Amino acid sequence: MMDVGRHPHIKLFTHTEVLEVTGKAGNFKVKILHRARFVDENECTACGDCAEVCPVVAPNEFDEGLGLRRAIYSPFSQAVPSAYIRSDMDCLGTNPIACGKCVEVCQKKCVNLDMPDKIEVLEVGAIIVATGIDYYDPREASEYGYTRFQNVVNSIELERLLSPSGPSGGKLVRFTDQKPPKRVSFIQCVGSRCIRRDIPYCSRICCMNAVKSALLIREMYPDAQIDIFYIDIRAFGKGFEQFYQRALQEGNINFVRGKPSRLEEDPKTGDLIILSENVETGKTERLRTSMVILSEAVVPAANSHELAKVLGARTDARGFFLPKDACGDPITSTNEGIYLCGCSTGPKDITDSIAEASGAAVRAAQYLSPYKLPEVKEEIPDYDISGPLRVGVFVCHCGSNIAGVLDVDMLKIYAASLPDVVFSDNLLFACAESTQRLIQEKILENKLNRVVVAACTPRTHEPIFRETLRKVGLNPYLLEMANIRDQCSWVHGMNPVSASAKAKDLIRMAVAKARNLEPLEQQEMEIGHNVMVIGGGISGLETAIQLAKRDYTVYLVEKSKQVGGWVKELRILYPSGMSGQELIDTKLKEINKEKIKIFTEAAIENISGFVGNFEVTLRAANGKPAPETLQVGAIVIATGFELYGPSKGEFGYQKYPNIITNMELEYLLKPQDKFIFQNKPLKHVSFIQCVGSRGPDGLPECSRYCCQAAIKQAIALQKMGIQATVFNRDIRVYHHEAETMYREARKLGVTFIRYTPENPPKLVGDKQLKALQFREPVLKKDIEVPTDLLVLSVGMRPSRKSIAEIQRFIKVPLGMDGFVLEKHPKFGPVETNIEGVFICGCIQGPKDISDSIGQANAVAAKVDALLARSTILMEPITSVINEELCRGCGTCVDVCEFGAISLQEKEGAQVALVNEALCKGCGTCATYCPTGAIDIRHFRDQQIESMLKAFLLEEDRV
Amino acid sequence: MAKKIPVKDFEPKIVVFACNWCSYPAADAAGINRMQYPPNVRIIRTMCMGRVNPGHVLKAFEMGADGVLVSGCHFEDCHYSFGARKAAEQYKKLEQIVRMLGFEKERIRQEFISAAEFPKFVKVVREMVEQVQKLGPTPLKGVRKVPSRKQVESIMESPPS
Repeated sequence: MMDVGRHPHIKLFTHTEVLEVTGKAGNFKVKILHRARFVDENECTACGDCAEVCPVVAPNEFDEGLGLRRAIYSPFSQAVPSAYIRSDMDCLGTNPIACGKCVEVCQKKCVNLDMPDKIEVLEVGAIIVATGIDYYDPREASEYGYTRFQNVVNSIELERLLSPSGPSGGKLVRFTDQKPPKRVSFIQCVGSRCIRRDIPYCSRICCMNAVKSALLIREMYPDAQIDIFYIDIRAFGKGFEQFYQRALQEGNINFVRGKPSRLEEDPKTGDLIILSENVETGKTERLRTSMVILSEAVVPAANSHELAKVLGARTDARGFFLPKDACGDPITSTNEGIYLCGCSTGPKDITDSIAEASGAAVRAAQYLSPYKLPEVKEEIPDYDISGPLRVGVFVCHCGSNIAGVLDVDMLKIYAASLPDVVFSDNLLFACAESTQRLIQEKILENKLNRVVVAACTPRTHEPIFRETLRKVGLNPYLLEMANIRDQCSWVHGMNPVSASAKAKDLIRMAVAKARNLEPLEQQEMEIGHNVMVIGGGISGLETAIQLAKRDYTVYLVEKSKQVGGWVKELRILYPSGMSGQELIDTKLKEINKEKIKIFTEAAIENISGFVGNFEVTLRAANGKPAPETLQVGAIVIATGFELYGPSKGEFGYQKYPNIITNMELEYLLKPQDKFIFQNKPLKHVSFIQCVGSRGPDGLPECSRYCCQAAIKQAIALQKMGIQATVFNRDIRVYHHEAETMYREARKLGVTFIRYTPENPPKLVGDKQLKALQFREPVLKKDIEVPTDLLVLSVGMRPSRKSIAEIQRFIKVPLGMDGFVLEKHPKFGPVETNIEGVFICGCIQGPKDISDSIGQANAVAAKVDALLARSTILMEPITSVINEELCRGCGTCVDVCEFGAISLQEKEGAQVALVNEALCKGCGTCATYCPTGAIDIRHFRDQQIESMLKAFLLEEDRV
Repeated sequence: MAKKIPVKDFEPKIVVFACNWCSYPAADAAGINRMQYPPNVRIIRTMCMGRVNPGHVLKAFEMGADGVLVSGCHFEDCHYSFGARKAAEQYKKLEQIVRMLGFEKERIRQEFISAAEFPKFVKVVREMVEQVQKLGPTPLKGVRKVPSRKQVESIMESPPS
């Protein structure tokens, strides 16, 4: 949120509605209504004085009404913009006789109770819908007594109760007696997957959310009993299955399959009785618990029907926006120029939403000017910093936020007495525009060459003051901030004397560091604007298409004869009904031949260089010498996955002739309408799911695609009159429409039978497999399912060979599962920790087609964001090697996971060399250097030491 | 309860090394939420906790700090992905050195505090101040300046723990 709030190219309108959209793609006119916030957004410093005097108390929406707020308030602690807002509903009124206290108390005069609503018309090229979700009201599922029984809470309320900054301070207690619960029971799928409630789909996020919350409660109350009632545990994301297994094994959490029919309350104790049928035993059980958490369904954002009307885009009956093609193009809406992302099209978790968001950004950008950002040249005067140190100290009052606690006049005089300080002054608001100019005047007037601003946190304000310095020509790295607000006056408000003493120390420390600062220059580096995409599957193709539309030249390298990867082998795709080859053909039509050069039967010979300047050498895969060296600015790795190959004898594979894998079935189903195997028509086909997934052999996590694929194949068989039976562990159809497909399969008569890894179905038959035998828990009988053909649904696994090939040149880290590790599982799913190297599709983890396409768009956006300029500025805070001290041991080379340090021969000896384009300045190498040869700019040993010295040894000097 | 406190009203000096991405913002958030903690700590910001080497901590003690807290991101949240993990390795070394030097291991502490965990930051600071208060002033107090005879004697006498 912070990033959006202060991004130079983003204008953020909060508290605003879209009224009308006219025009067409590339040229929309959007009429918006700014609702009055009654506080000047640009001037408010979020000091909170207004809320302090406000006499009104109202329930806090962010805390789900469990906490309180004032009528003028900050919605939550990290809100962006940080400005306060006044609720028109709660405020006593504009009449100063009635109240108006906030208007009086605000020193910056930000509160305006007569602020009108405003209408504005914006001209935009493209529109992105990211309206997200609302929550189903669990009162509709009246059998669970939400709001009738006090100790029944929903998952959002639980989230607030568990939050350390929430209304209960992170303590989970029962509402009836304020005591910790002895037993907590989660009920999943409240509303979701239920036609009766008109929510036929899976909400996707609740299983993992419940498991996460359960583990948090486990940490808090090690002795509490925790149950989760579920239909299927859908832990389908990267690393989710391992998390679920941890909850099973270490969390001591009781997972109960079955959905409770109703709750009763014991009015004496406030305890709840859960009535449920245990589907594994067939018995109805009454279970006493102290607290029930409802995992309520996710529904489209309120008013999405109205918004869709305004936008001219279509939604489904519930209000989720409809993409043009849910499988092949999940981002484009039915109206051109309007793009969809996140939960606006259906429930999604954070990772998938972030990928789609980036994807929508690159699509929208295609309607804007070509990739190059305008280059602004500004005149910066020269500034002479030579000569003796001249430090200036500015002490900010921040209204009364600092001045109300600390003795700011004393601090100003104190600062002036510190060594090399030639100037000090007080400022009412250091960050105000006018004050910035004043600081610049004072810098010039007093010929300052180091500046200390004692104010708030450098995390938000260092960029602002650095800019102030830069504009007068003073190197921005000659600034140091003393955080006397967030880390002093605000946290020691009760203790003003000690707080002032501490502020003296903080200023003294900042001056000490300032005296040791050195000017640093941001190096500009020219970058290349071509992109290398490795892998020509659906992900690689889509990435290339989107990048070409943004005017980049793309080199697409594919090792086989044809592009299209696995997808081109698929018989039919759901829900569009087109074949895999058709989808690939549509994508190939979009290929701009001038912009995309496809190299088939090619492999990587060598990669060198770094972000913006990679050099890639190709060779022909068949050994023919056709080396080609290409200069590229970024590399996208999309080499995909391999299918798990069952070992001989695993579920009878290769032991019986009538056992095949699901991919083999796909090939067999492809050509004919009548399905014949071994020259015989078939009557019974069985599937076994999770072969090579979710287990010790093969992949530890869920392969995501196989449940949907098996259901699709089972439907096809069933329609040919063949009885299909699917042996599964959980049915994980998490896609918006896939649940409908699952329902269709059951209607058609496909049988679904659960098995556990401990009790897999037994194979019956001598030479030919005849049947699968399983134990039916309710009847307590062994039952045989006749089987003419057994299909093993095999999972995905990382393609070790192609990953190893890449790793020879680029050291992308691998996760525990063997797939390439992304920069951050949620916030950086397509980036690696090597700048300029990106991943997309199944190289990062199992994905289906629409997820892969989403990611391919995301990666295009990230590449675009990196290369949409002619040069990149390199952060000068990097490590530096003192070559005289370096003995070339290579410890730093091993420590740095960014690969920024290498050993070089110099005058007959090995010395470490830092590649500043790769170094991120964390400083870990310096810590490991045995000879102290490494230092970090701006955080040098000497600078850290000077601060320690100022704090600990120089206190009595003044 | 106050029996064991060697110096009454002793106000310890505690150095906190906090990383730019998690623990420093957590300290800021404590302020935004007006949570109160004892004013004994001075925070030094580094980009990553991996930057803080045992030498920095020992230097702080040499100069007379009574306690040092090193705080950064959780392993999986580390902005530099491996810095926090490496910092944990370095911290083991530091613990050994502190043990070898013979002063109380309670004077040092390593914590992993995310930007959202500001109540944890406050809790850790409170605990740390209380704990160091119980231990009394550092035996190295004033070593860096010319130590008084009494101070030298007290260092010689204090038994290694």
